[in-house]
Amino acid sequence: MNPNIAPMLGMYVHIPWCPTRCIYCDFNTYVEGNPDLKAGYQAALLREIRESGSSLKRPPLNTIFFGGGTPTTLDPTQLIKLVDTVSAAFNLQADAEITTEANPGTLSLSYLRELRQGGINRLSMGVQSFSDYELKFLSRLHNSREARKAVENARAAGFENVSLDLIFNLPQQTLEQWLSNLYEAIKLEPDHLSIYSLIVEPGTPLHRQVAQGNVPQPDDDVAADMYAATIDTLAQAGYMQYEISNWAKSKGEPDWETPALASAHNLIYWRNQSYLGIGAGAFGTVNGKRWANVKRPQSYMGRVGTGGRLGLARDEATFETLTPQTAMAEHMMLGLRLVREGVNSQAFEARFGVALEAQYAEAVAYGLERNLTEWIDSPTGPRLRLTRQGRFLANQVSVQFVE
Amino acid sequence: MDQTHIRNFCIIAHIDHGKSTLADRMLQRTGTISEREMQEQFLDGMDLEREKGVTIKASAVRMAYTANDGQAYQLNLIDTPGHVDFTYEVSRALAACEGAILVVDATQGIQAQTLANLYLALDYDLEIIPVVNKVDLASARPDEVAQEIEDLIGLDAADVLPVSAKTGVGVDALLEKLVERVPSPKGDPTAPPRALIFDSHYDAYKGVIAYIRVVDGKLNKKDDLYLMATKKIVEPLEVGIFQPGMKPINQVNTGEVGYVATGLKTIRDVRVGDTLTLQSFVEEYGTDKIKRLPGYEPIKPMVFAGFFPTESDDYTLLKDALEKLQLNDASLIYEPETSQALGFGFRVGFLGLFHMEIIQERLEREYDLDLLATAPSVEYEIMRKDGEVIIIDNPADLPDPNHIDTIAEPWMHISIYSPADYIGPIMEITTRRRGEYIKMEYLDETRVLMEYLIPLSEMIVDYYDQLKSVTRGYASLDYRFDNYRPGDLVKLDVLVNGEPVDALSIIVHREQSYPRGQKLVSKLKDVIPRQMFVVPIQAAVGKKVISRANVKAMRKDVLAKCYGGDITRKRKLLEKQKKGKKRMKMVGSVEIPQEAFMTVLSLGDD
Repeated sequence: MNPNIAPMLGMYVHIPWCPTRCIYCDFNTYVEGNPDLKAGYQAALLREIRESGSSLKRPPLNTIFFGGGTPTTLDPTQLIKLVDTVSAAFNLQADAEITTEANPGTLSLSYLRELRQGGINRLSMGVQSFSDYELKFLSRLHNSREARKAVENARAAGFENVSLDLIFNLPQQTLEQWLSNLYEAIKLEPDHLSIYSLIVEPGTPLHRQVAQGNVPQPDDDVAADMYAATIDTLAQAGYMQYEISNWAKSKGEPDWETPALASAHNLIYWRNQSYLGIGAGAFGTVNGKRWANVKRPQSYMGRVGTGGRLGLARDEATFETLTPQTAMAEHMMLGLRLVREGVNSQAFEARFGVALEAQYAEAVAYGLERNLTEWIDSPTGPRLRLTRQGRFLANQVSVQFVE
Repeated sequence: MDQTHIRNFCIIAHIDHGKSTLADRMLQRTGTISEREMQEQFLDGMDLEREKGVTIKASAVRMAYTANDGQAYQLNLIDTPGHVDFTYEVSRALAACEGAILVVDATQGIQAQTLANLYLALDYDLEIIPVVNKVDLASARPDEVAQEIEDLIGLDAADVLPVSAKTGVGVDALLEKLVERVPSPKGDPTAPPRALIFDSHYDAYKGVIAYIRVVDGKLNKKDDLYLMATKKIVEPLEVGIFQPGMKPINQVNTGEVGYVATGLKTIRDVRVGDTLTLQSFVEEYGTDKIKRLPGYEPIKPMVFAGFFPTESDDYTLLKDALEKLQLNDASLIYEPETSQALGFGFRVGFLGLFHMEIIQERLEREYDLDLLATAPSVEYEIMRKDGEVIIIDNPADLPDPNHIDTIAEPWMHISIYSPADYIGPIMEITTRRRGEYIKMEYLDETRVLMEYLIPLSEMIVDYYDQLKSVTRGYASLDYRFDNYRPGDLVKLDVLVNGEPVDALSIIVHREQSYPRGQKLVSKLKDVIPRQMFVVPIQAAVGKKVISRANVKAMRKDVLAKCYGGDITRKRKLLEKQKKGKKRMKMVGSVEIPQEAFMTVLSLGDD
């Protein structure tokens, strides 16, 4: 059996607009306002999609992911226009996964129906919490009732793949409070869950509040307790953890296999495959080159207006040719996040021309000795992956692989 | 030039009071260097000096000056190091002069270091030309400062020259005054040559360059010379003067300042304070017939610390770097040291803490070394029960307490100059460090001089920083060695994860062992990052554990999100984390960061 996973290409499309900015957000987002700006941005996206597709000679495309920002600030027709344009410029595969992130506060049944009918087949909802108090603290605009309703509407609109985002370890949040959030989520029977521990990113209002002492710094020990409880709770509820922060409903896949309902788009990142970044500040990695587009929407629009090639809005400062050393280190850093399939040693050797155990003898031994990693056999060869303990301390493992 | 037209002088000033700027201005006015060559603070050759605004190595430059009387004079400016660690070097530079310009900042008044050096200059009977500098500043109070100079040293306030080294105001008047007031040298031109070495540097082609002041006779490049203290014969490659670069000439005459390129490869052979004379004369009459110039002292390092490369592979690099630094720094001594915790490194001796700081910085900056320095220690005299006396400069070398009769440590005599407002806090921090009060004097209505005896070991534990902090930077400090005194001293050991870390051991007074031990443990607990297991930290005197704390185990270290563009960023985060890990030392299975080894330094404050 071929140890390689079939090469895939994904596309990320950045919609930078949000109704408001959340206190913890450090993404490239802007509060929407000027409709002309939005229209101009939309036109720029369409142009970049077309130019990318034609420079790459209409390659097969396996996934599209609309992220942000809040893609659902766009009209359904705008989102569908983007999908259609991708479909024309690329050889969009019949089984392609087309995801949009969605803000639960704005998802009417009719809106969702239009998306679904237009070909979007996966929803990733930024629910974050089921506590109205916590949602307010995070400055989210929706409440828990609207979140439940949004999931209900998604099902009614025909979405068979719905993912919820949740955040744990909010300041002063107790383990019990977190678990009640998790139970609420499970009750809605989502197909997929992305669960993140709150990170206080520099430059955010939350960071300032913590720095000023108005909000306590989230506690790492509490985070560890919550993470442990999350792993156990979701396992009991029939979800497979396939990545450090991601779970999908189990369909009885074998131990080493990533579940079918995993995010196909995000798997492209973790499996170190190619992806295009469309839109302001979006990162792409194609054939060992990585770059981001310029960050500000206005600058992006200006760049896209001229030229005609792949990466026409490229921010040269971000351009990077990944050396074999860097590519291998990233392959380990990313692959080890896939806690079921891990890094396949045969695939590693096939890709990089050197045996994993030879390239990283010390780093591999480090994790094994500390029971942070383990080897597991699979029909396609032995795989190195994190142990349960290793999921808590993944950085301690990954850091061994970088320069 | 005949001696009557020579003026040898130095500048005494506190750091930042404008010594280097004034020197620059004099070089310009006398045409010694052109505007084009002018580089700010010409005399300070090293970048580090320029950055720190202090002069580390003395320098000497000859200026030709035609005075208002129409006659040509030779002015020799001898630069002196501006820090308390280099008092001996300062004293030798002063001994080479007949006069000194006292520079006092018109906005700040006299500082301790200035006063200490001034007293030193008075001891050598130097003619003092007082100036207040920075009179161009709005906050200048030249009259008050002039009065302060009169009150403190009895120089007539009316005699104090107002100067702005920055704008050049008063510099001409100063040059005239030098000619007028500084006595000319009074050496015997016909006597056997004697020259005082007041500084040196190493030159890759010419060997050690001795900076000299000819006292009697003349030094000719054709004559073989003899160093009286180190007993080395010198066949000069050249003799010359600084103008300000090295310029070879045939002969340096009586009373003049210049250099001898000795060709010697070891700077310790050319010791500051030594006397250079004629080899043929020594052969003929023996050394008894020539009197050595007074004031010579052998090198005496006071502070010792272990320097270890963070990467053990860098040991050879560190060795080479120390060798190179020693070429130019006779007061730097070192020998190999092996630490159980830190591996192979060097025990390095310094004149003082400032000296240590400079060396450490130069090693890191100029030689790109990642260094781990242990807490500095002093030299202890151990009287063993069997009567043997041993000297140790590393707490790890202390013999078993059962074999020790007494431990003696060096005590220093310190002088603190401060506004009277801070007497209380100064007394408090000094007494807490076992300081013994000697006396206090009011210098004027608002300023006091306080004198104490204090163990050197207490001084090197951030005493100076504390002094600055409790006096808001106003106090200044001068010190000199007093004597060795026995004390009730014990060794405080630190155990990390059950293993003693030799590099963390310190010798403390028994009464301070508990509070210091507790503080050390609690600081280490904060400094040592969480590991993947619980790490107990203990402080112990002998077998008795006096304090203990645990570093909790690390439970979570994982990047929450990782996809999209984050990949480069996250990889860089990991690379940074890796770099941090590399800078740590593995002691047993525990990663200890560098700052842990310096924790001991901040034990004094509360």
